[in-house]
Formats: sequence, structure tokens, C-alpha cells
Amino acid sequence: MDGASYQRFPKVKIRELKDDYAKFELRDTDASMANALRRVMIAEVPTIAIDLVEIEVNSSVLNDEFIAHRLGLIPLTSERAMSMRFSRDCDACDGDGQCEFCSVEFHLRAKCHSDQTLDVTSKDLYSSDHSVVPVDFVDPAGYDSTDQQRGIIIVKLRRGQELRLRAIARKGIGKDHAKWSPAATVTFMYEPEIHINEDLMESLSLEEKQSWVESSPTKVFDIDPNTGQVYVVDAEAYTYDDEVIKKAEAMGKPGLVEIYAKEDSFIFTVESTGAIKASQLVLNAIEVLKQKLDAVRLSEDTVEADDQFGELGAHMRGG
Amino acid sequence: MGLMQVEESPKDEQLPDKQKLAAPVKSVVDKFQLLPEFLKVRGLVKQHLDSFNYFVNTGIRKIVRANDRIVSGIDPSIFLRFKDVRIGQPSMTVDGVSEKLNPHMCRLSDMTYAAPILVNIEYVQGSHTEKTTMEKNDVVIGRIPIMLRSCRCVLYGKDEAELARLGECPLDPGGYFIIKGTEKVLLIQEQLSKNRVIIDTDKKGNINASVTSSTETVKSKTVIQMEKGKMYLLLNQFVKKIPIMVVMKAMGMESDQEVVQMVGRDPRYSALLLPSIEECANLDIYTQEKALEYLEGKVKRSTFGSPPNDREGRAFSILRDVFLANVPVHNNNFRPKCFYVAVMLRRMVEAMLNKDAMDDKDYVGNKRLELSGQLVSLLFEDLFKTMISEVQKTVDIILSKPSRSSRFDLSQFIVRDSITVGLERTLSTGNFDVKRFKMHRKGMTQVLARLSFIGTLGHMTRVSPQFEKSRKVSGPRALQPSQWGMLCPCDTPEGEACGLVKNLALMTHVTTDEEEGPLISLCYCLGVEDLELLSGEELHNPNSFLVIFNGLILGKHRRPKCFADVMRKLRRAGKIGEFVSVFVNEKQRCVYIASDGGRVCRPLVIADKGISRIKEHHMKELSDGVRSFDDFLREGLIEYLDVNEENNALIALYEGDATPDTTHIEIEPFTILGVIAGLIPYPHHNQSPRNTYQCAMGKQAMGNIAFNQLCRMDSLLYLLVYPQRPLLTTRTIELVGYDKLGAGQNATVAVMSYSGYDIEDAIVMNKSSLDRGFGRCIVVKKYTAINQKYANSTSDRILRPDRTGPGSERMQILDDDGLAAPGEIIKPNDVYINKESPLETRGSIMSPTGQTDSRYRSARQTYKGPDGETCVVDRVALCSDKNGDLCIKFLIRHTRRPELGDKFSSRHGQKGVCGTIVQQEDFPFSERGICPDLIMNPHGFPSRMTVGKMIELLGGKAGVSCGRFHYGSAFGEPSGHADTVESISETLVKHGFSYNGKDMIYSGITGCPLQAYIFMGPIYYQKLKHMVLDKMHARGSGPRVMLTRQPTEGRARNGGLRVGEMERDCLIAYGASMLIFERLMVSSDPFEVQVCRVCGLLGYYNHKLKAGICSTCKNGNNISSMKLPYACKLLIQELQSMNIVPRLKLAEA
Repeated sequence: MDGASYQRFPKVKIRELKDDYAKFELRDTDASMANALRRVMIAEVPTIAIDLVEIEVNSSVLNDEFIAHRLGLIPLTSERAMSMRFSRDCDACDGDGQCEFCSVEFHLRAKCHSDQTLDVTSKDLYSSDHSVVPVDFVDPAGYDSTDQQRGIIIVKLRRGQELRLRAIARKGIGKDHAKWSPAATVTFMYEPEIHINEDLMESLSLEEKQSWVESSPTKVFDIDPNTGQVYVVDAEAYTYDDEVIKKAEAMGKPGLVEIYAKEDSFIFTVESTGAIKASQLVLNAIEVLKQKLDAVRLSEDTVEADDQFGELGAHMRGG
Repeated sequence: MGLMQVEESPKDEQLPDKQKLAAPVKSVVDKFQLLPEFLKVRGLVKQHLDSFNYFVNTGIRKIVRANDRIVSGIDPSIFLRFKDVRIGQPSMTVDGVSEKLNPHMCRLSDMTYAAPILVNIEYVQGSHTEKTTMEKNDVVIGRIPIMLRSCRCVLYGKDEAELARLGECPLDPGGYFIIKGTEKVLLIQEQLSKNRVIIDTDKKGNINASVTSSTETVKSKTVIQMEKGKMYLLLNQFVKKIPIMVVMKAMGMESDQEVVQMVGRDPRYSALLLPSIEECANLDIYTQEKALEYLEGKVKRSTFGSPPNDREGRAFSILRDVFLANVPVHNNNFRPKCFYVAVMLRRMVEAMLNKDAMDDKDYVGNKRLELSGQLVSLLFEDLFKTMISEVQKTVDIILSKPSRSSRFDLSQFIVRDSITVGLERTLSTGNFDVKRFKMHRKGMTQVLARLSFIGTLGHMTRVSPQFEKSRKVSGPRALQPSQWGMLCPCDTPEGEACGLVKNLALMTHVTTDEEEGPLISLCYCLGVEDLELLSGEELHNPNSFLVIFNGLILGKHRRPKCFADVMRKLRRAGKIGEFVSVFVNEKQRCVYIASDGGRVCRPLVIADKGISRIKEHHMKELSDGVRSFDDFLREGLIEYLDVNEENNALIALYEGDATPDTTHIEIEPFTILGVIAGLIPYPHHNQSPRNTYQCAMGKQAMGNIAFNQLCRMDSLLYLLVYPQRPLLTTRTIELVGYDKLGAGQNATVAVMSYSGYDIEDAIVMNKSSLDRGFGRCIVVKKYTAINQKYANSTSDRILRPDRTGPGSERMQILDDDGLAAPGEIIKPNDVYINKESPLETRGSIMSPTGQTDSRYRSARQTYKGPDGETCVVDRVALCSDKNGDLCIKFLIRHTRRPELGDKFSSRHGQKGVCGTIVQQEDFPFSERGICPDLIMNPHGFPSRMTVGKMIELLGGKAGVSCGRFHYGSAFGEPSGHADTVESISETLVKHGFSYNGKDMIYSGITGCPLQAYIFMGPIYYQKLKHMVLDKMHARGSGPRVMLTRQPTEGRARNGGLRVGEMERDCLIAYGASMLIFERLMVSSDPFEVQVCRVCGLLGYYNHKLKAGICSTCKNGNNISSMKLPYACKLLIQELQSMNIVPRLKLAEA
């Protein structure tokens, strides 16, 4: 099994990083790696979400299951999630999922006493653990900050209606239920590589250039107002829609532009629900991915594995 | 590259269409605002309300006035007279105290929403010698169910807040009744016009002229038939057909010449009449006396009928009262009837010569819609007359007694119950059995469909057919051109009732009866020459038209056009009713004037020489609220045209299309569709049957049914957890309130193939979308228990549950009162009411309390739901039912998320089941991060041709991008009620999408881009009520039928799955004999029998002797035991019981 090593060393370049948003480039790897990362971010990075609701009083218009479902979908800050135990693996509580290692308890008490409808929101959820609280959506940009942000509305109460409940949040992953998915959006695209055939381009008149530039639904190309040259403004705005290529063909200039997707370079966009920071989401995903690979790698001393897997076993042991 | 041109054109959103540009400069007025105004004034079920209001305000008075006396047959001076009648407030009387009712109360506590019928009476009181006339006001003679939102309903004229206080949904249309707690709709009945001559052919090809006469007193059908060139009268009262000339002579038309003159002097006409005249001559009938004598011999002798009216003869009275009963005979003057017959004959002869003169029975103008008001009125009339005769009978019995002790008071004999019970029973069963009017119809009322809001509306506009559904004829089922604008071309069921059951269009109005007298005298004032003054010759003068009013010949007019114009002018000026129709029939040379009820009509804008009367300032005033729809009507800008009068009009679709000949302009083209078809976006781009399919499916879609849905106690309720309003709306959606009570969700759909689990219209769903609430629904079912009282004054009792001990685990959810507590999770076999019934319920009266426990048996009711599902007790309601027993209703709720096999549909007749549910990470995604909610296979498009769905996707995508709801009203592009594909594409491009709605998509499994661009965007999806959970069924062993010992049938009885004839045939053909044996016997009803080898009959097994014995041979020597299907053994024994002896001959195998 000798030969050239195909090992590659992927590089990450962060373009933009906010609490709930990250944009980065992933280079020198292939689609399988990029997609694995995406899939893990969506489905397997653990977070904490409300999983069990015990309703004491509910005289609101929404029924119990309805409210329980809404509570479950509220993102909770889940920095602790990686270190927490799954309730099914928890030794401390025999898996009933009510101990401090695997669960967080919430209380909600709301009653409307006025004629104004009362909005019960995620802010009314009181956590037993100050590190696990409903996500606060204060926009850092500060617009709308004057009237106090009231969190995520759970239900609206009118005079005399009451909602009282106890909820238990547990660790889980998005594969089990979307409420445990920390990702709002995880997507990537191949980085486009655009080559304009300058000679052919020069044979176009300014109007033709203009109409060609405008044929792209996104702003990829522009014309330099001084030189009249077409240049690429933003290659990544290109959505692989082929519009410009079709346009070029329609204009009788095939090959006016050539666009390739770089097969080893990806631009990731990650938006988090707020449960964990977008940067942490990526790191956690890599961590989870590592753990999964560890699980695949067999331990050195299992000899039976050789019989079972033959050559493959040796391969997996790193041979 | 259409995109480029669009981009360069001015970005006006709506491009002015070419037609308008080409037309001369003329300000086109947007008349759309009239539509909401129309619906505001009239509501969506105005036809029902108007009809019922007419009955309540006018009809009931007419009936009572026509039958206002109860006179004793013994002493005619004793009488009772109804002076006035009115209907009071809906109320009920409990223990003598009258209590106001409101509809929601009735729904919840199973009461009838009814109001008392109050009469003012004048009657004679006293004994033999002294009689005084007394008066009493507001005597209750019965209670009549009240239509919701009619003028007698408490909801009438209430605003939203008041309705909410009464527990009513403001969007609920009303128009139905509440009978014993269930909402009942009296369907609109379609019928052939009454009192009109209809010329058609029968099966044998004979030409018929038939008139169904209907007056207050008599209902009859008169047919004149042409058979072998001769004309005959067919009338029920005569045993056989009568030559028509005999009838004419019997009516005093002795001269043949005059008959010929009346029919018309054209020699072709007289030639056709000749055989009939000859036949009459052959019968030797030349005088009226002879003719009557002849007829007398043909009168059907009823076996128990009254003795013949000796003086004038039965034939004479039949001719006067039954034959063409709609033509009145005053002072035995038969001349109008003769004219009528002559006109009928003329039309028949015309039809003989020219087939085009035949009437079309399916033509909407020849039809009348019978509405709830008319039907209730019929019912009331019958019951009222019955009550009068009943009262009369009892009064006579009392008066005939020789000695009467107490003072005689006629008012005390008025029966209150017969009307109340009669109305209630008929409306709740729907069986109209009115012998007096020869009406025996079943299924006239239906329980209002409350599956979805739109289903309810659709139910109120449904028109049920005149024919039975089994007839295999295409004519009545076909779409009639005259249905345009009156009946929805899309909304009809599939299958046997296809084309027969119809739905009203959005703007249709159904007329009610109008006073005839003033109109008749008006006609005479306007120059109609009275029939009486005309000779037979003059009847069909070439320079004059006949004037026919509601099927009655008034006379003729020399200048019909003028006459019609004046009539129309008067109507537009509001001098005569707005629904009076004036129709000049050039072919028949008649002017038809109609004011009868049941005609369908619709409003149109009047145009003078092609110029609309509605100007910009009118619409401005309308939007400012200074002007209402009625003002438009009153000022003659708009008028109602019925189907017949539409034939005299030239109606332009758009103002721009008008020519100088145009007389009317449509208000909005999309009003040809009904309420349900109006929900479809871009229906004019779809293949027509798809719209029809959607009309059927829209009624099954889950969503919200009403604002008060959670306060109602429906026996089955389907709700969507997160219903949405469609991103691509139509004007109709906004008008009917579908945007407030939607039944579906906007799903992002990718049109692509994925995983193979999407073939045959299946859809692939995204698991995360389902987790987040897509398609989640709530099913609420009602379970009732009655705490019954018995004859011996014992009653059921509800006990506090045992908290410990055997069986207590099934009673965990019970409260201390023995009823399930709301909010508890209920599992199958849980007890929801801990009830006990007394063992003895008949016999001597026992004290209701103090019975020992041993005298009760348990009558617990247990919940039987799907296994492994968590259902919750939603609400428990207590009320008393009609017998005064305690009635307990439990609502049990189940929240379901979509699962494999649940049915979904878009709004374009594209239904499909969920084929598989896929994790989000495996789902394809775009580089923007958009991941579809469901994937639909592209093979759904080519054969279905639902282009509307594609445009909906485009429009929805543009809508979410730019934040504006897009419109897709039918035929809406020219008038701006639908966004054009060009403008949508422009919006898409502006927001960085491809103009064609396709996106570049990456596979979620590999991360590689897909080969093709994927058409992706939001489409409004409906979840239909058919869910796997309610249907899936399998069984191993289980219950068997007692008689045959075979497995039971059907899911409800946990039945087996039948190997039917065809399956059996397959197995036989394949030769799988052991499998057949197993399926048909071993797994079904194997039974061991003892067969006697000698006599071949079945014996029995004696357990004491441990041997089989033949009861015929009286020994057990030759017994073989074998296995048979039990059904076979049963057959053998049944045959024996009828003296057939089947013997089994056994052979060695």
C-alpha cells in the first residue's frame, strides 16, 4: 500500500464573524469533507432544548401540546451542551433525565390581570441554571432597542387566563428533533472561477456589454465607467445560473466568459439559532466529527476484527 | 431572453395591455370595488337569507290569510279567525318561563333554534245561547326553526364585537338552521320552471308541450302530445289521451275555423292541424255538450271519491280547475285557456317544422331554484292546514255532544305541537313528505359540513339536482353556456353526481316572488292589448308580439321593443322591482316578463351605446363610503339580469371591448367562478378538470373552521396547528375571508426527483419542517354519555372512582365526580365515565335513591383509540338533552404530525401522499441556505398541465422576496387582479433569482451540485383529512361473526382482510391450492364435523362416550370425523331445515 500520500491539509479563512453568523472559506479539501461538516453542524452538534413539559395550569387558548411544542422550539443558550450528558447515558439518575448533570429545569408562571392581552414570552421562563437561558435576541445593530425586546412569544393571555408549568430541558441533537439543531442556516458553495475572454469582450459595443452584464440576476460583473472594460465585481455573487453564458451564446459570442467551480474550495455561510455562537458551532462540529471518526477507528488489540474485516480492518487501524 | 425586454420597459408592475392601448382614449374605470360592496350588502348566502326573510315577512302572512278561518261544521256561527301572524324572537319556554335563545347556546345544548309563531285571533266564545266574539293577541300556535342571520335571528345586523359576545364567528355566513343542536342546511333545489310551456320530445320522438301548473290551490301537469300527426291532451285526471280538438270544443271553441285562426293562418300550420280536426269530426263531436259528454266518459273514477258534481259535470270542473291550472278562469270564461292552448299548439307546430324551436330543458333560463324559504313555506302551509282541520274536527266532536258542561272556548283547541314537531322532524330528517302537494323527497337537508371554513361556504351555495343521480344521460350534466356567471363551471363533484350537483357563482342572486297585480296593470297601461278584446285571427298578427307575464298570456303589443324599453327604464328607475326581467323573444314573437321567484340573476353594469354608466367619480364616491351598492342600483348604473334577459343584452367582458352595440359590461370576469373555485390561483392557466378536482379537495382541507372553533362541540373536528394565508392570493380569497381562516401552509417546494419514494405523486417531506410544525394537525372527537332516567324512576348514576384496587389503573384520569378531567392524557381502554345502570329499569316504581349497589351494573365507558398515541381530554361539557336527562360530552383531542401516507394537496388538484420523510441534512439546499419543505416529482406536471401551479410557485417566490402578497385571480391579468409572469420574473431577477424560478441546488447527501437547475419556491399546500392513522388496519386473529364463525369485516370491528373472488381466482390460476385451503378454511372458519358414512348426514360428538354418533342411524358405527368450513356446515343444516337433504359421500383420500 505504498505510494504517494493523498493527505491534504485543509485551510480555513474566516471572512466574517459575528455571534450568530459566520462566513469562512474552506480550501484544499473536497466536497465530502465540506458536506460532512455541514451535515454535522445541522444534525449532530448537541444543544439544549426543552424536552419535557409538565403543565400545572393552562387556561390559555392554546392547548397543552401546542404550548409544549412551542416551548421546545425556543433556542436555549447551550455552551454547556458539549460537556453535558445525554439523559439516556446519565448514570446519576438512571436515565430518567431529571438530574443536574443531564437536565435543566424551567418554570413559567404567568397570569393576566389586566384588560390588555399579556404576551407570555421566552423571557418568562425561569431557569434553574443561569448558563442555560432562552436566547436573547437583542440586535447588536440596536434598531428597535427602545422598546424592550420581549423575547419569543409563547402564547397570549387575556384577562383571567393563566399558564403555569414546569419544563425540563435536555441535551439532544438535531437528528432527533429539529429543536436541537443549533443551525438556522448552514450552506456552502463552490468558489467560482471566472475568466473573461478579454479579446472577445472588446469586440462588443458598450450597449452589448451593458446588456450582457445585466443578464446576470446577481451583480457579478460591472463595466468600468472609465475604460469601458467589463470586470468581475463579485465572483461569489454568481449563482451558477448560466445566464451570462446563455446570453453570450445568444449574442453569438460563445466563450465570452468561462466559469468553473473550484472543486476544492468552499465558501461556508453559517447562521446559528443563538444556542451557541456561530464560531463555536463550527468548532463543535469539528469536534463531533472527530469523535465520530474515533468511533470508526477500531482499537489496536482486537484480533477478531481482522477475521471480520480482513484487509479492511488493518486499514482502519491505520495500517 | 424575454427578460431583457422586460427590464428595459418602464417598471410599472402592471403593463397596460395591448387591447387597451389600441382602444380609443377612454378612461377605464376599475369596477372591482363594487364586488366587496355587493358582498357586504348581500353576503355570501344571500339567496338563502332573502328567501327565508321573504317567507317570514310575506309568505307566512299570505298562507295564513288564505286559510284564516276555522269554522265549525256543526254550528257555522262558531268560528275562529286568524287576523295576523308574525314570528317572534327566538326563544324557548322552560316551565312556563320564556327564555331568549341564541344560536351558540342551541348548538352546545342540542336545542332547536326556533321562534314562536304568534297570531292574533278573533273567535266566538260562549254557550248555545250567548255568543260573544273575543279577541286574543299573540297566541302561540307553534315554533318555527329560524335561519341564522335571517331577519328574525338574534344575529341580524350585529357587528363583529356583538357576534363575538354571542359566541358566534363573524365570518360564519349563516343561512342554515339549528335543529336539535345540529346545523342543517336546506339545499337549493333545482327544478324545471313552473307555469311555462316547454316543448320537447319524449323517448319515442313525439313532440310534447308540457306545462307544470302551480297555483296556491292546485298543482297539476298538463301535456299536449303529438302522436302520429294528431295532437292529444294527456292529463292525470283522464284515463286516456284526449284529442285536443275535443278539449277545445269542450271549452266552447266550437268552430274549427277559429282554432285554425288562433294557431295561425299559415297553410303549413293548418295542414298539420288537419288530422286532429278530422279525428274530432270522426268522433262526431261538434258541440260543447257533445265534447263534455265524451270527456265525462274518460274521467278517472276515483274509487272513494266524492260523488260527481251533478250540475256542471266532473269533466267541466277538471277542465276549469286542473287543466292548465295556472290560467285563471273567471265566471266560466274559458277564452284565456283556449288562447293558451292555441299558443301551445302553435309552438308545437313550429317545432315540427323547425327543430330549433324546441326548448332546451337544461337551459338555465328554464330552471328555477327552490330555496329554503319556499320549502319551509310549503311545509308550513301543509302543517297549518292540517292543524286547522284537526281543530275543526275536535271542535265538531265537542259540539256534537248533546250536553256540554263548560263554556266553549275555541281558542283553547289550537294545537301547538303539530306545527313545531312537524317542522322540526322534517328539517332534521330531510324527508319532505307533503301529501297535500304530492311532494315526497328525501335528503333535502344535510348536516352542514364543518370540516373546513370553505367547505361550509361551499355547502351553502350547492344546488342539488332535479333528477336522480343514476340517470345515464349526458345532457343535464354538460356545462350549459347559459350557466355563465350564474353557476360555477368548475365546482361539481366527480362521479355519479358529476354535472348534476352545481354551485352558485360568486355574484348570483336568486329571486323571490314579487307582487303580480301592479305589474299586470302596468303592462296594460303600457299598451298591452287585452286578450279578451282580440279575435283568434288577431292573436298572431305579424306586426305584434304576445306579452307573457309569468307564463300567463296578458295580450299583445304592437311595439314590443318600445314596450320592453319602457319596462326596463321603469325598473332602472326603481319604479318596479329590480329583479323583474323583460325578455323579448324574437323567434317566438313574445315578450316575456317574469317576476316569479327562483330565477337566477346577476348584476351587470349598464352601458349606453357601449359607454359604461359608471364613471370614475362614482367609484370614488364608493371608496369614500358615500355611495353604496344599492345606490348604484337605484340610480340605474347597475341592474340585475336573469338568464333570459341576458339573451337581449350584449355584454362586454371589459370596458375596452365595448362596441356601440354593447348594452352591459361585466363587473369582474372572475365572478363566473364560485366561492371554492375562487381559491385557486391562476385557474385560467390550468387544465379544466384540475380545477374541478381542487374544488372537491378544498372542502377536505384542514385548517381553521371558524373563529369560535374551540368553543364548539363538533363530533369531529380537524384543525391545523399553524395555518397560514396563501402567499399567492386571489380577490375571492380576500372577499370570502379565506385569508383569515386558511386551510393550508406555504411550503417551499422543490420540483425534482428524490430517492424514488416520490413516484406516483408521492411527496418527500423534510423531517425538520415537520419538527417545526409543518402539517401538524389537531383532531378532536366527541364522545357522549347520557345519564338516563328510567320508567321506574331509577336512573343511571356516576360514581366516584376507586383509587385503589382492581381496575383502578384504568380510572386514573377520572376526577372525583367520576368524569375524566380535562387535560388528562387518555390511553386506549381508559375509563372516561364511571357510570352504573340499574339492573331493573321497568316495573314498579322504586325510590330513586337508597338502592343497594348490587342492584346496579357497571356501565363504564372506555376510550377506544389508536394504540400508542397520546390523546388528551380536551373539554367536558354537561347539559340536559331533550328528555331532560343529563348529557355529558367529552372532547378528546389528538395532535398529529404528518406521517408516511398522509394526504396532501396543492390548490391545483394535485394530491399526493407523503412517500417518505427525510432528514434535513440529506435534503438538497441552495447556496442561499434555502432547503425545501417538500419535494414533488416533476412527472406531476406534463400530463396534468397545471400551469397555474407553476405560476403560483413563481409568484410565491417573488412574494417572499419582495414582501408583497401576489395575486392570481382568475382571468385577472388584464384588470390587474393577477400578476403577470413577466412582472413576477422581473421581481425575481431584482432579488437575485433566475427569472424562470429555477435555482442551482446542491445535493445534501454528497454536497455536489445537482445536474439540473431545480424549480423551487413556495406553494400553498393543504393537508387533507385522510390520514393513515385513521385508516391503517391489520389483524392476526380476532373477533368472528357469531352466525358463520368467519372473521368480522371492516376496520371498525377489527375485521380480517378478505381474500375475495378475484384474489381467489388468481390463486387458482397459479395453482396454489394449499394457500387457498389455508386462506379459505384454516384461517377462516374450520370446524370438525362427524359424518355418517352410511347416511351421509352430520352427526355429533358424544363427549361421554368419546365417539361420534349419527343421530339418524342412531349408532356410532360408521362415523368419520372431518373438517369443514363452518359456513358449509351451516348451509347443510339450513338446507335440511327446508326439507332438502344434502348427503356427504366420503371416499378414501
